[in-house]
Amino acid sequence: MADQLYLENIDEFVTDQNKIVTYKWLSYTLGVHVNQAKQMLYDYVERKRKENSGAQLHVTYLVSGSLVQNGHVCHKVAVVREDKLEAVKSKLAVTASVHVYSIQKAMLKDSGPLFNTDYDILKSNLQNCSKFSAIQCAAAVPRASETSSSEKFEQSNLQVSSETQATSELTANGHGPPTSKQIPHQPKGIMGMFASKAASKSQDTNKETKTEAKEVTNASSASSKAPGKGTVMSNFFGKAAMNKLKVNLDSEQEVKEEKVVEQPLLSVTEPKLAAPAGLKKSSKKAEPVKMQQKEKKKGKRVEFSDDETKETVNMKKKRRRLKLPESDSSEDEVTEKVYESESCTDSEEELKMKTSSTHRPPAVTVKKEPKEERKGPKKGTAALGKANRQVSITGFFQRK
Amino acid sequence: MGYGAGLSGLTSETEQGPPPWPGTHHVCRAGCPEGPHSAVPAVSQQRHLCPSARGDVHQLLPALPAGGAQLQPSVCPHLRHPPPPDEALPGSGVRVKKLCELQPGEKCCVVGTLFKAMPLQPSILREVSEEHNLLPQPPRNKYIHPDDELVLEDELQRIRLEGTIDVSRLVTGTVLAVLGSVRDDGKFLVEDHCFAGLAPQAPAPPLDMDRFVLLVSGLGLGGGGGESLLGTQLLVDVVTGQLGDEGEQCSAAHVSRVILAGNLLSHSTQSRDSINKAKYLTKKTQAASVEAVKMLDEILLQLSASVPVDVMPGEFDPTNYTLPQQPLHPCMFPLATAYSTLQLVTNPYQATIDGVRFLGTAGQNVSDIFRYSSMEDHLEILEWTLRVRHISPTAPDTLGCYPFYKSDPFIFLECPHVYFCGNTPSFGSKIIQGPEDQTVLLVAVPDFSATQTACLVNLRSLACQPISFSGFGAEDDVLGGLGLGP
Repeated sequence: MADQLYLENIDEFVTDQNKIVTYKWLSYTLGVHVNQAKQMLYDYVERKRKENSGAQLHVTYLVSGSLVQNGHVCHKVAVVREDKLEAVKSKLAVTASVHVYSIQKAMLKDSGPLFNTDYDILKSNLQNCSKFSAIQCAAAVPRASETSSSEKFEQSNLQVSSETQATSELTANGHGPPTSKQIPHQPKGIMGMFASKAASKSQDTNKETKTEAKEVTNASSASSKAPGKGTVMSNFFGKAAMNKLKVNLDSEQEVKEEKVVEQPLLSVTEPKLAAPAGLKKSSKKAEPVKMQQKEKKKGKRVEFSDDETKETVNMKKKRRRLKLPESDSSEDEVTEKVYESESCTDSEEELKMKTSSTHRPPAVTVKKEPKEERKGPKKGTAALGKANRQVSITGFFQRK
Repeated sequence: MGYGAGLSGLTSETEQGPPPWPGTHHVCRAGCPEGPHSAVPAVSQQRHLCPSARGDVHQLLPALPAGGAQLQPSVCPHLRHPPPPDEALPGSGVRVKKLCELQPGEKCCVVGTLFKAMPLQPSILREVSEEHNLLPQPPRNKYIHPDDELVLEDELQRIRLEGTIDVSRLVTGTVLAVLGSVRDDGKFLVEDHCFAGLAPQAPAPPLDMDRFVLLVSGLGLGGGGGESLLGTQLLVDVVTGQLGDEGEQCSAAHVSRVILAGNLLSHSTQSRDSINKAKYLTKKTQAASVEAVKMLDEILLQLSASVPVDVMPGEFDPTNYTLPQQPLHPCMFPLATAYSTLQLVTNPYQATIDGVRFLGTAGQNVSDIFRYSSMEDHLEILEWTLRVRHISPTAPDTLGCYPFYKSDPFIFLECPHVYFCGNTPSFGSKIIQGPEDQTVLLVAVPDFSATQTACLVNLRSLACQPISFSGFGAEDDVLGGLGLGP
């Protein structure tokens, strides 16, 4: 089942959204190790080819190897199309590695779009660019800037205090702090929320490599350092959850996600809660979020907390003025969402930023939905209930 | 396929599932020091330590065979006719003399600095001079001419050189010793000459495992070449361990340093025309280098997050023009300077990496010698500068250089183990041996924006391997791009 999830997602990306899915893009999108992403792509290609469902798939590979040229041994690394793969491999004296570089529906004329895809996803993940790579450098510790913003300062302070808390909790739980050279153990467990949360926090601190404690982390799944250690499940679910988060309530998907929503909610919110630890409302958030998670709620609530945390993560300087509903969601989630968007005093740009800044890019079409919905009431032409319209109008004036 | 540990792995708190995905562990970067870099201070900082000035040849006399009274053939490889044994005895035979002491017809040895009078050499005085009314010369590839003449200068005098000496090969600023005699017309007839030779070298400590240093130069950002951008991204991905399978990533983890040897920005970012335009025309336009530096910052961020990086400025980079070029300012790299693994260093640059001494430039010295000498191969020129024991003899004559008057920092006091220069047209590498058991690896680092090639130096074996990157283009010339074409 887990296999199905990511395969379906890749399927969705490639066929429905017609995206170019490079291994790097997939790695950042799903929050998985690069090697994992490569294998996922490979599995997908194999299965699709076996099924022979007629869907056209074009694959590009990365070939690297060595050959003797001009008297010395040259190492070559090349991105090649599938049809040229064998030719290139035959020319190399030693083929060191071959792996899938990207999958896309259309045939690529040149490698320009591959670079663009990688560049775009990298731009949105600059702060943790080597999070999913295979090499960690112990010396690469980002310095805390001297002119840090107040929030960052707060964060680091709180992080320090939480660190000490976390380590003590960790030792209580019997987990030793992982060294940077070893594969860090990520304690699993849906139940022990505090333990897991503390563990993920301590992971952040114990990892000297990327102490993003000093920097506001982008909301990424909990697979930070050890995707290989069985957190694949949570990654999948995490990824799946985040994908579905932005999807406004496909009921079918909700049903599918029902079982797994609990798990991803945990893994997804853990880092998010850990990251903006310094921000004011997160502590308050923790309680309701947890309660919501314990009940098998739909993804929306988590979505909002995620949104909020993500939003605050991304807009460090702005004070959060979002008021999220603590109450249970109503049946008409669409309208409620709109309501919430209206009641907040933030501007439209912020909301748009919210959707666009999340770097688990959902379907483009899906992304447009919330945007449109948010735009709708503002323009006052949304096809919503009267109550919402009224609310929207007052909200409109209130904002000013 | 069984990569799932199953849901069971999640419900239990204490049990940990087996890693379902092979190869998704992390390899630690080799050779990361616990503390800050152990780099030897750059040449520019050492200039006040240099004991003698360039014009003063006495410093080289100890380098010449002991006693200075004769030229030992073993030290001077260019000496084609070694003096007969009786002449080599100290006290008799050839003496080292100053120019003012020369007697016509007497065979002797003179040490001095070379000056090459070249009619084609661009001279600002000639250009500006009204009586000549000359148009400015178009830039040429080489300025050599059969009418070039060599003049030897010491502290007091100068003398024209003739004879068995290759005029076209030598350049101004070379310090050498010539063996011969003065003729009646006042010219010195050269029978043989020799250079200072390789400096003494301290042996490098042996390494127990393979460590690599990646040398790249000429990234050429802002140049608008889409192909080279993909190549740059592939390079960064290989070094940071994203590309390749586990074996490759393990090898990449052994890269303990990346040195970017100049020309990080492209020539086209210099936008010299905006200097000549009126201010009101260029007020709102942004310099082309701004975007390029932003791109560079992102690349450096990716690299510094994974490997120690040393960034040297080059000819087209936003720093001072004259040698030694000062490091790029950290304010240009707000993202990357957060990491202490990023080091902005001077050009020329000298460092000791894992006990191996590196010395290199961004290539301005070699390309300047190329313009004024008949030597064609950049690697050959690189070797020649090592044998002449001076990084850039043509500075400050034709290459901009700070006017050092007390000491010359570009003299080799000690022979490095790896000597490189950047931005050459093609890759070249060679190991040379010195007379005193010196072993030097010479590397001509090619221009990445043109060749998509970088150099991997193995510190343990002192071997160098080129590594090329390529994408695929519309013309299906993948094999050609890799250099594998028919």
